[in-house]
Amino acid sequence: MAGIRIKGLSKSYAANAEMAAVSGLDLDIKDNQFVTLLGPSGCGKTTTLRLIAGYLTPDKGTIEVGSRVISSAEGVAPPDKRGMGMVFQNYAVWPHKTVYENVVFGLKLRKIEKAECRRRVEATLDLVNLNGLESRFPGELSGGQQQRVALARSLVVEPEILLLDEPLSNLDAKLRERMRVELKQLQRRTGITFVYVTHDQAEALALSDQIAVMHGGRLQQYGTPDEVYRRPTNKTVADFMGIVNFVPAAAKRLASGALIANVAGVDIDVSVPAGVADGDPLDVAVRPENVDLARSSDGRPGLTGTVTEETFLGNIVEYWVELASGPAIRVQAHPTERFNVGETVHAQIRAGECSAFPRTEPTKQ
Amino acid sequence: MSVTAVAAEPRVQGRPSWFRLDTFVLGAAIVALIVLVVLPVASLLVGAVRSEDGLTFEYFERALTGRSYLRALGNSLVLGAWTGLLSIAIGVPLAWAVSRTNVPGKGLIQATATLSYLSPPFLTAIAFVNLFSPNAGIVNVFLRDVVGINFGFNIFTMSGLVFVTVLHTFPFVYLLASSALQSVDASYEEAAQILGASKIRTALTITAPLVAPAILSGTLLAFVNAIALFGSQAIIGLPGGIVTLPTRIYSLFDYPPQYGLASALSLLFIAITVIALYLQRAFLSRRSYVTLAGKGARPQLMDLGAGRWVLFGACVLTFIVAIALPYGTLAAVSFSKSWGLDFWQNLTFDNYRFILFDYDVTKRAIANSLLLAIIASTICVLLGTLLSWIDIRTKWPGRKILDYAALIPLGLPGIVMAVAILQFWLSMPVALYGTLGILLLAYVGRYVPLGVRAANSSLRQIDPSLEESARILGASWGKTLWEITLPLIRPGLFAGWLLVFVPVIQELSASILLFSSSSITLAVAIYNLYETGSTEPVAALALVNMVIVAGAIFFAQKFGGSKLGLKTGETSRSGAAS
Repeated sequence: MAGIRIKGLSKSYAANAEMAAVSGLDLDIKDNQFVTLLGPSGCGKTTTLRLIAGYLTPDKGTIEVGSRVISSAEGVAPPDKRGMGMVFQNYAVWPHKTVYENVVFGLKLRKIEKAECRRRVEATLDLVNLNGLESRFPGELSGGQQQRVALARSLVVEPEILLLDEPLSNLDAKLRERMRVELKQLQRRTGITFVYVTHDQAEALALSDQIAVMHGGRLQQYGTPDEVYRRPTNKTVADFMGIVNFVPAAAKRLASGALIANVAGVDIDVSVPAGVADGDPLDVAVRPENVDLARSSDGRPGLTGTVTEETFLGNIVEYWVELASGPAIRVQAHPTERFNVGETVHAQIRAGECSAFPRTEPTKQ
Repeated sequence: MSVTAVAAEPRVQGRPSWFRLDTFVLGAAIVALIVLVVLPVASLLVGAVRSEDGLTFEYFERALTGRSYLRALGNSLVLGAWTGLLSIAIGVPLAWAVSRTNVPGKGLIQATATLSYLSPPFLTAIAFVNLFSPNAGIVNVFLRDVVGINFGFNIFTMSGLVFVTVLHTFPFVYLLASSALQSVDASYEEAAQILGASKIRTALTITAPLVAPAILSGTLLAFVNAIALFGSQAIIGLPGGIVTLPTRIYSLFDYPPQYGLASALSLLFIAITVIALYLQRAFLSRRSYVTLAGKGARPQLMDLGAGRWVLFGACVLTFIVAIALPYGTLAAVSFSKSWGLDFWQNLTFDNYRFILFDYDVTKRAIANSLLLAIIASTICVLLGTLLSWIDIRTKWPGRKILDYAALIPLGLPGIVMAVAILQFWLSMPVALYGTLGILLLAYVGRYVPLGVRAANSSLRQIDPSLEESARILGASWGKTLWEITLPLIRPGLFAGWLLVFVPVIQELSASILLFSSSSITLAVAIYNLYETGSTEPVAALALVNMVIVAGAIFFAQKFGGSKLGLKTGETSRSGAAS
């Protein structure tokens, strides 16, 4: 019904195509889904959103909604003819209109009769927990309330697609958490397709059905939160999705013929990407929660190292462990068993939770 | 001071508070403000109701019923209203073009607005008289003698007066409107568009209400400035029989001077100005949405396609009419032996030689104006610094009253300021009348708000901790002011200095009542020469005036790194005037 299909989309602000804000983007956003465009600032996520909204004309490629092409280099359906909703980072709640006037704006444009307008505005304000504030001006509302006005204004016209540009980034941490839950519930209840832009990976993981990780104007990976966190397709994604250690290793061919990674003589049973030959240098992406520390090895093969730093964070304890082979890794462990700085520990890496990548650039920690 | 002494007896080591340098200096600043502004205005009030036998309302009665006064009042209001409306008609489209479209030559428009604002209208008026006076204006002469149609444009009419005044006042609307348009974030408009509103609908329901307060505010500033201009109203209005409040008040000083009536009429004039300025402030503050977007606003730009060249044409036309034509004319007149259709046949430097070397009056006038402008700007800025320091850094009771007192001159048209100063100092036992001193008092009193504003906005950007850390290291109040505060706000003060210098060097409205033959100023010399019909030397003197102003601006940009603060919406309220 209201899926979005993006094909070969490119947009560049500068004259030279090298500096493209978005290049060759393919993305298939299914109906009723919560899809997040995630990436650091300048990765092209906001540009993509503004291309979907119709504020920008693509240099190449197309955007289709349903079976209708709404954007191509030849022409763009203007934003006011797209029937989408959009929530802006600064909310863009009109300061000269009351809450009611803000929300009813879109309905008036659709020539809805007055009583029906009132009914729908009230229902929508109910939905975002703003009832009773109809006659307030935005200047008299808190940031969170303004945010809800912006949401209500977009929702009241019942768009099939709602675009959200970092809508929570101006809120304080507590409110952000609450709005996050509300947004997710709202999306489920309404069945509207949400396209959500953020640079906050935790927010993306918590909210999305699908995450599109972008970097340098290109799509890096498109998958479920579980996939992009646990099975990153490249080092950029692995690095962006949370804390990660890149442990230097070498590819090793087992007698069975399978390739695995070998870290300082210890085999780590991760699948090695295609195109890697026996002995090639690798980086194994190890998240800090996927290393088990112990005082004795219990006979299992594992790495040894020395604890150089210990930080108690409440629910976990974070260690820096300098491996005997040289590199230092970050480890997060449950606080029940504590290790002291200077202690020698055995580190077991949970191979099933790790990924290996060919070493093409210097590892960064 | 030893540490133990301070710790044990914090107050013992200090001198009594009334004797400390800060109290003394700041107290002196307050006294200066009272003498410069408050007392003269008070003497205006007294003068309007005092007669030989006590209290009287006779002057007010005459001012409010006499036909000649009512006609002057009516003319002033008509002039102000038309000027305000036409300022919108010119200022808003230009502002929109610069802030929201891809029109070429935005720098030219910005420059036109700045130059129009800086040009004293009495010079523009003289230039247009040379072109459009019914008998001798060369455009009219050309139409009559060469083309053969006896149907020229008579500048000595209300239309002519409005036209010349608008060229000076449209920048008020332009500057405020363009800064408002620039600070409306595109997301406000985009939000309306994605909900289905067309471009026109968005402009009408979202953009227009957001910028309306700024436009209204600019219009009221245009109104207040327009009605206060003595020079253009005397040069264009009087020959056409159009008497306005400033020229009517001026004529009350023909012998015998009628102080009581002049005071009453001045108070009436102040009332109009103050009401307009009050409305202006209310519009700007009550619904100043545009500031909400704050920094980093990203205005929505419109691609006009080929239409942008049409708009560019309109901008070029504005430049030609407002700048090129008047200054081109003045330049041509100043180099001609005798202004007329064939002026280019005998060009000469004689006019310049006359005013710069031969004629004592103009030589003296130039020297007087330079001296007065330099001293007045310096005092205004220093006084402004002290007054805003009290406002921002102290918790003194009554400091807000001080702040308002410093704003009073914004509501005083130049001629009213002169009447007030005259009233006050004539009743004092010091003989100031006819000296440079009384002119200095008038200039400082009139332009001290500009100094306060410049210092105020600079001082607000300096965190108090920068001063406090000097004090804790042992620096005295004076030392801190000298070593920390003043150097930090120097760029702002420099801009403020120029903002005072430019209007003072070409001040006419107040000077015309206060000068004597020894204290004659540049603008008065131009006006008097013009009255005696010396067209060509007047033009030369006008250009000398502009060269001085241009030199000051160059000086500001080179050493102050500032653009006179004219780029922002914080444009001055009384500004350059004559």
